[in-house]
Parts: sequence; structure tokens; C-alpha cells
Amino acid sequence: MKRLAIVGMPNTGKSTFFNRLTGSSSRVGNWPGVTVELLSARVVLGSEGVEVVDLPGIYDLHGFSDDEQIVRDFLENNPVDLIGVIVNATQLEHQLPMALQFCKLGLHPIILINMIDEADKLGMRIDVDALAEGIKCPVRTLSARHGTGFIEARDAITDIISTSSPVPLRELRQNLHADDELVKYSESLTSRCVSAPSRVVREMTERIDRFLLHPVLGLPLFFLTMFLVFQAVYTLGAPLQDLVAFLLDAFRGWALEPLATRLPAGLYGFLVDGLYDGVGTVASFVPVIILFFFFMAVVEDSGYLARAAFLTDSLMARMGLDGRGFVMLLMGFGCNVPALMGTRVMRSRSLRLLSMLVIPFSLCSARLQVFIFITTALFSPREAPLVLFFLYMASFASAFLTAVVFGKRYRSDEPFVMELPPYRPPVLKQVLLRGWHEIHHFLRRASTFIITGVVLVWLLTHYPEGSTPGGAGTYASMVGQWLAPVLNPIGISPDMSIILLFGFVAKEIVIGALVAMTGLDGGALAGYLATQMDTVQAISFMLFVLLYTPCLSTLATQLSESRSWKFTAYSLGWSLALAWAASFTFYQTARLLGY
Amino acid sequence: MLMQAIMRTILNCKSSVDMKEQPIDQLNLSCLRKGQTGMILGIHAPDGTRQRMQSMGLRTGHEAEVIRCSRLGPMHIRIGSVHLIMRRRDAARVSISSHQ
Repeated sequence: MKRLAIVGMPNTGKSTFFNRLTGSSSRVGNWPGVTVELLSARVVLGSEGVEVVDLPGIYDLHGFSDDEQIVRDFLENNPVDLIGVIVNATQLEHQLPMALQFCKLGLHPIILINMIDEADKLGMRIDVDALAEGIKCPVRTLSARHGTGFIEARDAITDIISTSSPVPLRELRQNLHADDELVKYSESLTSRCVSAPSRVVREMTERIDRFLLHPVLGLPLFFLTMFLVFQAVYTLGAPLQDLVAFLLDAFRGWALEPLATRLPAGLYGFLVDGLYDGVGTVASFVPVIILFFFFMAVVEDSGYLARAAFLTDSLMARMGLDGRGFVMLLMGFGCNVPALMGTRVMRSRSLRLLSMLVIPFSLCSARLQVFIFITTALFSPREAPLVLFFLYMASFASAFLTAVVFGKRYRSDEPFVMELPPYRPPVLKQVLLRGWHEIHHFLRRASTFIITGVVLVWLLTHYPEGSTPGGAGTYASMVGQWLAPVLNPIGISPDMSIILLFGFVAKEIVIGALVAMTGLDGGALAGYLATQMDTVQAISFMLFVLLYTPCLSTLATQLSESRSWKFTAYSLGWSLALAWAASFTFYQTARLLGY
Repeated sequence: MLMQAIMRTILNCKSSVDMKEQPIDQLNLSCLRKGQTGMILGIHAPDGTRQRMQSMGLRTGHEAEVIRCSRLGPMHIRIGSVHLIMRRRDAARVSISSHQ
């Protein structure tokens, strides 16, 4: 098996090329010497099986950021037969130095000049032969988005990789040292081989930016766009969600319920009421997540996300975050999980950790579902929206408080310098492929976690043998009694504290769990809730639910993205403490004031 | 009043330079207004930061043009075909020679 590594700067269409070369067969995996998972795929080139690895986009092989370290670690520990260096045709003078760094390593690179269509449009001409001679390695031009020149580039890769062999790792390690001469050489080379108009103007992009980055209109337009994205996700997502729930229910009625007579009652309850319903509830949220990723891929591929960062940076800078953090916080109002994954664009680890600490306070759609149910049950139609508004404010306030409190601990000196790519119309196939990768990753990781959580909660509410399911005498109610000293001061009764256990797994389960526990639904359940808590207790309960932890998937994502148990535990501890303090302050103050 | 104080701090480029390593007395990128250009002379920052900024396109001898400035937020800079957004605090690390 030969190995081809794809490298390049961010925004060069590296992933687009990777997707075109490998189709949808790629998977994420671990590599020797590298602490993050990298995307790779196996393809057949000529008669040779080739493993293609997509390395993170970097600006400098010898730089100091996490991504740059990852690329060096990978190259030092994994033999590579050929390196494909993707460069942006419109920025050759900027991108060639890094390509030269790879040549210097003796890695037999092939330089793939991408976005040749854009360079043509800008009136640039590139003398490929002179360039190839100057850097002494093969060069091809192509457009990975539209496919022009792709076949030729792939054939060239096939030719070269069939005869090349990896550089001995020891030799490579010696060569991985700084080289300033390259920049000078690159400049003389580009001035010889590239002819471009004296000032390259991105006419279309400039015209759009005049609106979207307008000093006054820019921010309102951005909020309008995000609002429309959310609307689209939930307008399209809700019927799909109902459809999945309907299908799961139909399957249950058609295939699973007949089993009730054949399986022992305990096993049936565990498999169907516990596992199937629990996992099903979570599965019904998959369409919304797919849509969410789909729209975010469109927004991101178009280049608009970089503009959003430009617009919101001044606000975020004051809290130790940056413009990209705001975009993620906003995404968190849909679902915290993709928002956490989105922080990967940040290079500084402390900035990323701070953003990941803040995102779980975004009031996501699952929590909204619980709040709508409770507010409708306990408040008048006039009061209910005010209570919801209060909860949204509490969500923002906690996020900002967290950023301010931990800003010092996760202080980053990283300069906020970001590339502003030109606007590019998204290509459907690329957007779909990206959505597929993300959802695949999500399901693979979330599934084990959610199944474990569901099983645990079911066992807690159904054992020991002989106790009323969900009622007195179960382990869950023992936990409720045990938690009483902590939860009484914030007005949550032991019965309701069992619900917090369910909510820990996923907020989506909370209402369903109430139904299962009480055997009531609709208006009767609302009536039951009114006997369980008064309005002050209800607000205190909702404040606690809002802040104590989003769900197991969020925790799992925090863990896999931070790769640190300590950070995840820290984040959980902080949100539990903050939730309790907020509810305690609210509940006791309200009681003192005589409510 | 507070807003005015903030604006004054930000618009006055000398006082907005938050540099402990080396104070910059010369002209820097954050002093330029929209449409103005300057030749990059150097970056005053710790090695890692400097290398990062250089590799993103802020190389000595290249000409930088300010495309737009948001009033409190970042600047939009063009160096050749590369467009960057950067905070004023970071732009203040880039010393330039001016030729409008």
C-alpha cells in the first residue's frame, strides 16, 4: 500500500480535491505520532492501492500552531510515498514558499495549482513548465471544484507514485529545519513564471462586501441571514423529525410489540421501552442535525463565515473570545454538538477551550422544547413568552459570565489574523459530502454514549425488582432522596429530581420520561406538573435545566474535541455549580420577597 | 462619555499599541486609513507570532493596502492577492513606511 498525503494552505480547495479523488469512502482515523484524527481513504490508482491522507491546512511547515505541529508529527512518523501540495493559483507568490519547503524535504512532492479557472478570470497567466523547472518537481494545474484538469493531475499522481518510495524518516527529520532563503527564491521564481495584472481586483466579491460588510447594515444583515438559516432548519426539520418519529413508532407497533408475548416482560421492557424508545428519541433529531450541517456548510463554503467573524469580533474581543467564537455560540442555539465541532477552525488551543466552555450555555432547541411545555403548563399565555425571554437572557448572561471568569485562565496571545476568501458559490456535491462526513462522525461517536446513558437511566428507574417503575423504591428515587439536601434549597422536589437524571442524557427525553413515569399525557400531565411545583419553583427548575449540562452528546463531543477528561470534568463541574448558584439565588430571593 | 473614551483610545494609534516586548515609535499598519497603503518594514512580536503573521502574507517589503476599517473592530488589509482581516492591536505590530 502506497501513501499519498495532501497538504496546502487553508482556502486552497484541499478538501475539495481530496473529496474528488476519494469520493465518499473516506474515514477518520488515528495515526502514529499524531494526537488528532485525520481523514483518509483508500483508492486504486493505476494498478496500485493508495492510501490518501488529508492533512490539516497550514500556512507554514515550520510554524508554531497546533495544525502545523500535527503535519510535522505526521510526516516524521508515517512514511509517505508522494506529497500532493495544493496551491491557490491566484496567490502563487504567497503560497509558493510553503510548497518549496516540502520540496526541500526531499519528499518528491507534486505541486497541484488549483483554482486555475479563477486565475484565468482574473487575467493571470502561469508558465507551468518554467515553474516546474524552477522548483524541480512536477506541476499540474486544475480546478478541483469544476473538474478541469483533474484527470491529468490524477494521472500524473498515478505515474509518479508507482515508482516513488518513501524518504527514510531519519533523513526527513534532519531536513525539517528552518529555511528563510526559500521566500527570496520563491519571489524571484514567481516574478519569472507568473504574469498578472498589476492590481488584481476581486470585483464581484468587493461589490458584495460593500453590502455585507457595510458599517451600519452589515450586522443586521448578518443576524437576518442567521435567522433565516434557523428558520429553514426548523421549518424543514420539524416535519422530517415527525416523519422519523412516526416511522420508528410504526416499526415498534408492527415488529416489536408482537414480541411482548414471546419475551420475558423484563427483557421486553428493557429492549423496547428502554433501549428502542430512548435511542429512537435521539435518532429523531438526526434530520435536524443533517439540515443544520448542510446549511452551515453552505454558509461556510460561500466565505460568509469569515465575514461574520469580521462583524462581531469587536464585541467578542472584550470577553477574550473572537469573531469565530460568536458564530459558534450562535450555532449552539440550534444544537450545541455541531457548534462544539465548529471550534476546530481555531488554531489556539486555549481560545478553543474557552469557546467550548461557553457554547454549552446556548439554549438549544431540545431545551426549548422542555421550556415551552413547562411554561404553557404553569403560566398564563401573557406570562409564558416573558419567562422564555428571561431564560434566553439567562443563557446569554451565563455564556458571557463564563467567558469573563475564565478569560484569564484560557488567555491566548494568538493574533487575530484571518484570511478573507473571495465569495464562491457552493458546489452541491461538496456540501453534501461534507454533511455526510460530519453526520457519520456524529453518529459513530454519539451512538455508544447515548445507548449507555439510556440503558443506565432505564435500569435506575426499574430496579430493584418489585418496585413501581419510575416510582418509589427504585434506585432513581433513592438517588432523588439522596440528592434532596442539595435540591431542596433550590425548590426541586425529590420526584422531579429524577427527571434531571433523564435530562442529563438528553433534554429530548425529559417530557417523554414524565409521560412514562406518571402515566399521564397532554393536559393531565400539565395538571400534574401544577401540583408538583408553583411558578417560582418552575422557573428555578428551568434555570437549573438550562445551565446544569446540555446532554451526554455534548459532553461526549467536548471530550472528543478537547481530548481531555480533565477539561470535560471541569466544564461539567462549572456548569453544575453555576446552575445551582443561579437557581439558589433566584429561588431564595423570590421566597424572601414573598412570592 | 465611555464610548468617546473608547473611541479616542482606539483611534489614537500610539496609545492603542499594546506591546510589552518592543515599543514602536514608527508608523504602523493600524495608523493607516481606508485606501491608504504602506510598505511593510517588519513585525514586532514574539518569534512564533511573527512567523505566523509572515506566513499569512505579511512579509517584509510587500505593500499593504487598507480596504476597510470597522470603527471598533478589525481592519481589512490586502497584500498582493491576499486579503486578511486583523485586529488593530495586531496591525499595530506591523511597522510600515508610508507612501500614500
